[in-house]
Amino acid sequence: MSDKGEESYEMVKDKINRLNTAGTWENKFGIFWKIASSIKSQQHDLQYLYEDSSREFVNRYKEQLITMREEFIENMDYYVEKCIKVMREVNNMVVHYAKTNEEAQAIFMKEIGDTKVIYKSKSNEAKDIGLIEVLKKNNITIKETDLGDVLVQLFDYKLPKFGVGPGAHFSKEEIVAKIKEVHGVEIEPTAKAIVDYYRESYRKELLNDVKISLTSANVISAEDGTIVLGENEGNISLLTRATEKHIVVCGITKIVPTIIDAILVAKVQTRINNVSFNYISLISGPSATADVQGEKVLGMYGAKEVVVILVDDWRTKSLKQDLIYKELLKCIGCRTCNYVCTASRAFGNMYASKYGLGADGIIRDYIHNGIEAAVNDGLFLCTGCENCYHWCPVSVNLAEIMKSIKKEATKAGFCPPALKKYQEKILNEKNPFK
Amino acid sequence: MSKLIYLGCLSDKFYESTCKNAIKLIQFLDSEYQVIENPPCCGSLAFNITSDDIMKNHVESVNEWFKIKNITELVTICAGCYSYFTRYYKEFLGNEFKVNVQHFLQFLAEPRNLQKLNLKISGTNLKVNYHDACHLRNSSIPIIEEPRMILNSIDNIELVESDYNKTKSICCGAGGGVYSIFKETSDYNGKLIFDNMKKGKVLLTACPFCYTALNRIREEKNIRKPVIKFEDFIVKLMEGVDPLS
Repeated sequence: MSDKGEESYEMVKDKINRLNTAGTWENKFGIFWKIASSIKSQQHDLQYLYEDSSREFVNRYKEQLITMREEFIENMDYYVEKCIKVMREVNNMVVHYAKTNEEAQAIFMKEIGDTKVIYKSKSNEAKDIGLIEVLKKNNITIKETDLGDVLVQLFDYKLPKFGVGPGAHFSKEEIVAKIKEVHGVEIEPTAKAIVDYYRESYRKELLNDVKISLTSANVISAEDGTIVLGENEGNISLLTRATEKHIVVCGITKIVPTIIDAILVAKVQTRINNVSFNYISLISGPSATADVQGEKVLGMYGAKEVVVILVDDWRTKSLKQDLIYKELLKCIGCRTCNYVCTASRAFGNMYASKYGLGADGIIRDYIHNGIEAAVNDGLFLCTGCENCYHWCPVSVNLAEIMKSIKKEATKAGFCPPALKKYQEKILNEKNPFK
Repeated sequence: MSKLIYLGCLSDKFYESTCKNAIKLIQFLDSEYQVIENPPCCGSLAFNITSDDIMKNHVESVNEWFKIKNITELVTICAGCYSYFTRYYKEFLGNEFKVNVQHFLQFLAEPRNLQKLNLKISGTNLKVNYHDACHLRNSSIPIIEEPRMILNSIDNIELVESDYNKTKSICCGAGGGVYSIFKETSDYNGKLIFDNMKKGKVLLTACPFCYTALNRIREEKNIRKPVIKFEDFIVKLMEGVDPLS
């Protein structure tokens, strides 16, 4: 029994060593992440000339957000059904409701037909649904468009990354050296030169080549079936307009009751992440015109088709079976929990899973791959301080979920030996230090 | 009816002088409070890893000990014990758990006790920071204002608040038994707590786990600002000794 605990413990210890070894990617990410997670939001609030701080903004709407999420979860079936009906009957979207991730993957593969290249914007949801792995397995080329993700692809970087700035831990020198190595182009090691290079080369390619684009949704409004997508770079705007088919893949919990709720959620996401969301797209269907004799024709300049794949998988199940992670249904994906997490701040991308940083990433790994995966991601690094809960705009208590998973891990023999010893002494001798 | 001073395993094992100070302080305020040898551990370090049925057995055995010793009032100096007694014992035992549990900060902050202590500090104004321990701020009855009331009642002491305080304080990294397995958690977070002290000269904590982590960081990183346990600080003031000595 204790061997498994020992093995996993050593594995995590090894990762900590890599984190503390100068020059490793873990170390580089760790340095970047310490700065990123401790950034004083106030400075950014001033930069954007806000009259309140992000914290005040969130606090003002916290109650409203919690009520909104609880209302949705209590009536999840109703809102999902309503959303699908509006999308289909009013918005001319093709909507699939996928019961499982596998079903969603199959639907996606069918929707892309013979196309071998898809353009994609940043999406944690696609990872959660396991879509990326399936596309790779089927030799579909995934062209990332968010510059951070483009850099991640350039470096063939496989470790967990920061969702908001995926490539932000690569230095300018590293980037230009890599561009030279891969593309044979020499450019100056400045942010502007790097951006200009991609603008000149990649933007054109994207506009000419995109046939199928894949995005997630920041949030979806049930009342009018509108998909909300926020961004700074313009990549989402381009790839959702210039494409033939825009496919949205996301979990059903992205749905909120009204469009006003949706805008609020998007605004909370921007304020918390200190990003500006220069563009917010509200997509309510494929491009269309009625300018020829009032006859509506779909597919003018923008996308011809908008396909929405709403994925249930663990979501309804967790509610109906009262599973330990059902709290996660409330999550609006704002990443607050990452920034304030004790373990995340200390351990960067080694307290994480392929689904993302921090407890949220680890819980998702637990949901999809089971207890051992969660332990190896660093489950036992969670101190249970509940900062995630106190800062979360919708009061999701990840610490409580982590605690339940820790109990399950111990039962399965994965408890770190030192902790197990304390437990035995407490239970047998009524004193951990005897 | 007995009143118990519950020191907690960590302080009892590693912080003898703090225990003596705490006993002195609590007994000065109410001489009926007594220490009983070898009390059972509340179970805090095991809570996160033990299944509910086994934990319930342990909690029941602790409660049985309280019953045998006829304990009705309990003051603890351990933030962990306070947190688990108030948060989980009621959950497991319901009305079977009849002990009135107080953390010593609550006990101290009672008006009659504050009056009796009548704390003063001689000399110039001393700026102090108080570190909100997770165990205290997350409890079913959170202890957030009590330490502030106590500190604000003392002449010449100025409480400096960090940007991250009260329910949103930075965790020292020692919670959940993590300190026993991955000390590295506190390397960064402990430093962050010191970095956020602003003009405070002394860091006060009422949690022995936080103290252990913070003091180690202080020593390893050569941080000049001392970290002092709340009870030690108060006893020094009571005795007219320079708290920084």
